[in-house]
Amino acid sequence: MLSSIVNGLINGTIYGLVAIGLVLVYKGARVFNFAQGEFGTVAVFVAWILNTDPPGLPMWLAILAGLAAATMFGLLVERLVVRPLSTSPGVNLLVATAGVAIAAISIQLLLGEAEARVLNPLVAGEGITVAGIPVRPQQMIMIGMLGVVALFLYLFFTRTSVGLAVLATSQDPLATNLSGINTKRISALVWGMAALLGGVAGLLQGPVTVFFPGFMTATVLLPAFTGAVLGGMTSLPGAFVGGLLVGVAQDVGSQVIPEAVTGSAELTVFALLLLVLLIRPQGLLGKEA
Amino acid sequence: MAQLLEVRNVSIRFGGLQALQGVDMDVGEWEIVGLIGPNGAGKTTFFNCLTGIYKPNTGTVKYRGKDITRAPTHKRVKLGMGRTWQNLGVSRDLSVIQNMLIAQHAHVPYGPLSGLSGSPISFNEERKLRRDAEEILEFLGLSEVRDEIAGNLSYGTLKLIDLGMALATDPEILLLDEPTSGMGPDEAHKLGDTLRFLRDSLDLTILMIEHHVPLVVGVCDYVYVLNFGQILTRGEPAEVQRHPEVIAAYLGAEDEDGAA
Amino acid sequence: MAATAVTPGTRVGRLSVPGISARVAAAGIIALAVFLLPLFLEEFQNNQITRAPVYAIIGLSMNVLMGHLGQISLGHQAFVGLGAFVSGFVATELGLSFYLAMPIAGLFGAFSAFLLGLVALRLRGLYLALITLAYGAVAEESLFNIRALTRGGEGMPAPRPAEFQSDRAYLYLSLIVLILVLVIDWRLVKSKAGRAILAIRHDERVAATMGVNVTFYKTLAFMISGFLAGMAGSLFAHWQQTVVSNDFVLDVALTWVFMTVVGGLGSRAGVVIGASFFALFPFIMEALPLIPDTWHDDVPRWVPLIGAGLLLTTLILYPGGIGQQLLPVRRWLAGGPFREHKKDRKRKKQKAVEPTAPVPQELVHPPAEELPTEEAPAPAADRATVQDGPPAEPPPEAAAGDGQPLGTPKRGLLRRGFRRKGA
Repeated sequence: MLSSIVNGLINGTIYGLVAIGLVLVYKGARVFNFAQGEFGTVAVFVAWILNTDPPGLPMWLAILAGLAAATMFGLLVERLVVRPLSTSPGVNLLVATAGVAIAAISIQLLLGEAEARVLNPLVAGEGITVAGIPVRPQQMIMIGMLGVVALFLYLFFTRTSVGLAVLATSQDPLATNLSGINTKRISALVWGMAALLGGVAGLLQGPVTVFFPGFMTATVLLPAFTGAVLGGMTSLPGAFVGGLLVGVAQDVGSQVIPEAVTGSAELTVFALLLLVLLIRPQGLLGKEA
Repeated sequence: MAQLLEVRNVSIRFGGLQALQGVDMDVGEWEIVGLIGPNGAGKTTFFNCLTGIYKPNTGTVKYRGKDITRAPTHKRVKLGMGRTWQNLGVSRDLSVIQNMLIAQHAHVPYGPLSGLSGSPISFNEERKLRRDAEEILEFLGLSEVRDEIAGNLSYGTLKLIDLGMALATDPEILLLDEPTSGMGPDEAHKLGDTLRFLRDSLDLTILMIEHHVPLVVGVCDYVYVLNFGQILTRGEPAEVQRHPEVIAAYLGAEDEDGAA
Repeated sequence: MAATAVTPGTRVGRLSVPGISARVAAAGIIALAVFLLPLFLEEFQNNQITRAPVYAIIGLSMNVLMGHLGQISLGHQAFVGLGAFVSGFVATELGLSFYLAMPIAGLFGAFSAFLLGLVALRLRGLYLALITLAYGAVAEESLFNIRALTRGGEGMPAPRPAEFQSDRAYLYLSLIVLILVLVIDWRLVKSKAGRAILAIRHDERVAATMGVNVTFYKTLAFMISGFLAGMAGSLFAHWQQTVVSNDFVLDVALTWVFMTVVGGLGSRAGVVIGASFFALFPFIMEALPLIPDTWHDDVPRWVPLIGAGLLLTTLILYPGGIGQQLLPVRRWLAGGPFREHKKDRKRKKQKAVEPTAPVPQELVHPPAEELPTEEAPAPAADRATVQDGPPAEPPPEAAAGDGQPLGTPKRGLLRRGFRRKGA
C-alpha cells in the first residue's frame, strides 16, 4: 500500500504542476484552458529537435529554447484567441482553447510522425528508491520544481502588486482598467506565465515517459483538471495538493478495480471529478463554487 | 372571497445574509396587492420563494389552502401562478410569437412525443395556441411585432411582451416584478388601467412589486412594505404612505449610501 | 419576385407565382443534385462521401445538446461509439437484422446520454464541459476496450444489410436516415418539447415559471441527442463494416464539436453543411485538382488543423457559423426577401442589443432557426378569423368602459379563448 501511495505521489507531481498552470489561468482569466497541456508538448518538441543531431545542442540550451517557444506560443494564443473572445461567454473561450490544442497537436503531427520518442533527461543516473519505488533524478527535479513553483506563485499572488493586479483584472476587468492598470499587459503576463509553466511541466515529464504529439493533453490534462477542481480552481496550494491526490487515487484505483476492467485510471479520475463537483464544488481549498 | 395566497413566517438565508425573516402575507381573490420597499429589501427574493425558485428555510406558502412550499415551480404555474421578471423573461433570440408559445407551455394538451411525431392533434392544438397568443398580443397592442425577433425591440416593448407571456400562462394570480420600471408617468398610469381591466375581465388577482408611488396608491387595494427582509407595515395605500417608518426606510436608505 | 413590400417573415401566401416557382426550383435543384450525384460517381468515391451524411447526423445530434439545449458536449464519442459497437455486436454476435440493430444502438446511445444528463442536472457551464470530457475518456478507455465488443482489438464486424450492400446503395441509405433525422429535428423544434428546450437554454428559472418541467425536458434533450448519436454510430459501423475503438478517440470527438460550432449552433442546414465539409475535405482535395498529387496522402492529417482554424475563425469572427451566413438564403426560401430592406436594416441598427445579453447564455447562437411561418399552411379562412375584430357577443363582465387598456382598446376584446374562463 505504501509503495502504491509513493508511486501515486510521484505520478501526481506532474498533475500538480499542470494543475497549478490551470489554476493560474483560471485566476487570471476565468477560463478553463484546454491548451495547457500543449504548452508542454510544444516545449518538448522544440527541445528535442534542437537536442538531436543536427544541430545537437546541449540539453540545457535546448530546454531554454523549448521554454522560450512555449512562452511565445502562450503569448500568441493570448493575442490572437483570448483577447478577441474576452467579451464572449466563457464557454466560447473554452472551446477555443480546445481548438488551439487540436491545432497544436495537428501541427506536431504534420511536422513529425506520430511516433513515440524519448527526450534525454537533464540529469542522467540511477536515482534512489523509496518504499520500493525507484525515483529517478529527473523525477526528483520535478518534485523540487513543484514546490518551488507553488511557493513562487503563492508569493506572487499574495505579496506582489502585480499579482494583485492580475486578480483584480480577472474579477473586474473594466474597473481595473479604469483604475489605470493596463489589463492587456496583465492578460499577456498571465498567459505567458501559464505557458512557461506548462513548458516546464512538459519538459520535466518528457524524459520520464516517452513523448508523442499531444501526449500531455492525452495523458495529463484531464487528471490535472481533476486535481485543480479537487483542490479548488481558485487555490494554488489546492492545485498542488489536488494533483498529488489524484495521482494517489489513480494508483489506489488501479489496485482496487479488478484487472479485467481496462481504463481504471480514467474511471478513477471520472469518479473523483464527479464526487467533488457534486459534493463540494468549490474543492478542498477553493472559495467559490 | 377566497384566500388565494397565504404566506406564514417565511424566512430564507443565503450564507451569512438573512434575506427574509418571518414574512407573513395574505392575498385574497381579485385583490390588487402591492409590495413596496427600498432596493435590496428582498422583494424579488420573496417572489422567488412564492414561485418556488427558492425554497424557504422556514415558513409555509399556501395557495388556495394547499401547501405549496416545497412544490416545484412548474407545478405552481399549473395551479395558476404567473409572473413577470425584473430582468425580463423574454428570449431575445426568438420572435415574439415564439416567446408567447413557450409561455403557453403549461396549457398545451398534447404530450411531448405526440408533438414530435406530428400527429394531427398537435397540429390543431398548435393552431389554437397561436390564436390565443395572437389575441393577447392584440390586446397589448403588440400585433405588429408578432414576428419580430425580440432582441430588436425596445425595452418598453419587451416589458409588455413579458406581461403578455405571463398572461399566456393563463394565471389566476399574476405576480408582477416592477412592471413600470423604465416607463414614463403616462405609461405607468395606463398600466394601472390595464391592470384593473385584467382583474375585472379575467378575474385575475395581482400582487406586484412596485416603486412607482402614484400607481401603488391609485391601483392597489392593500400594500405591504418590506425592509431588510421583514414586513415593516401593511395596510391601505394611503395609511402606508403616511407611516413614519416607511418614510424613514426610503429616505434612510438614501442617506446611508444605499445598502445594496 | 415578390412585388409587394415584404417585411421579414412574410407568409408564403403573399408571394407571386414567379416568386414561388423560383423558390421551389432552387430547393428542387439542390435536392436533385444531392440525390443524383451518387449515380455518377465511382463506387470508391461513393464509399468516401458516405462519411458526410454520417457526420451530418452526428452534428445534428450534437446540435440538440449544444444548439437547442445550450449545453456543451466534449465527450460525444461516448454515445456514437457505443452505438457503433452495440450495432456491430447485435448484428454479428446476436445475429439480428440491421434494421433492429440501428434502433437498438440508438437506445443504448440514449441511455448513455441519460446517465450524463443526470449529472447535467446538477452542473453547468465549464464544469459540465469537464465532466463530459471525462465521460468520453471513460468510454474510450473502459467501454471501448471491452474484449467482447472489440474482439480483442481486431474490431467488431458490422455487416451491411442485404438490400444495401453496395457502396452506392449504402450511401442512399445514409441519406435517407439523414432526412429522417432532419424531419425529427424539424418536428422537435416546432413542437412543445422543442420550445421548452429552447426556453431552458435561455434561462432555466424563467422556463420553470412558464410551466416547463426543467428536469424532464433537459433529460429528454439528452436522450434525444444520445439516440440520434447512437443511430449515427450504427450507420458509421456498417459503413466501415468493422468497428474499432480508434475511430472514437478524443480528437475525433473534438472535431465533431468544431464542425457543429462552425456549422452554426441551432441551424440545421448550417450543421449539415459544416459536418459535410469536415467529412468531405480530403475527398474534395483529391477529387478537385487543387493540390499536387504528392500531397494527397497528407491531406487527412490537415483536417484537424483546418478544423481548428475554422473553429477559431468562427468563434472570433463569425459566431453564428455557417448557419448565420445562410440566413438570407433560408429567409428567401421561406418566402421573405433575400436582402433586408434599407428601412429594416436601419431600424435594426437603432435597436442593436449588446453582444453579451444580461441573462447568461451558453455558446453563441444565430437568430432563430425557425422563421415564423405558419405551423401547417392554414387556409386563408383561418387567418381571417384571427385578424377579424372581437367575437360575436362580448363577454358579460367586460369592464372596458373604465378607461383604456394599453394598445388598441376594443370592447369585449379578450374573448373566452382563455382556457380558464368559460372554456
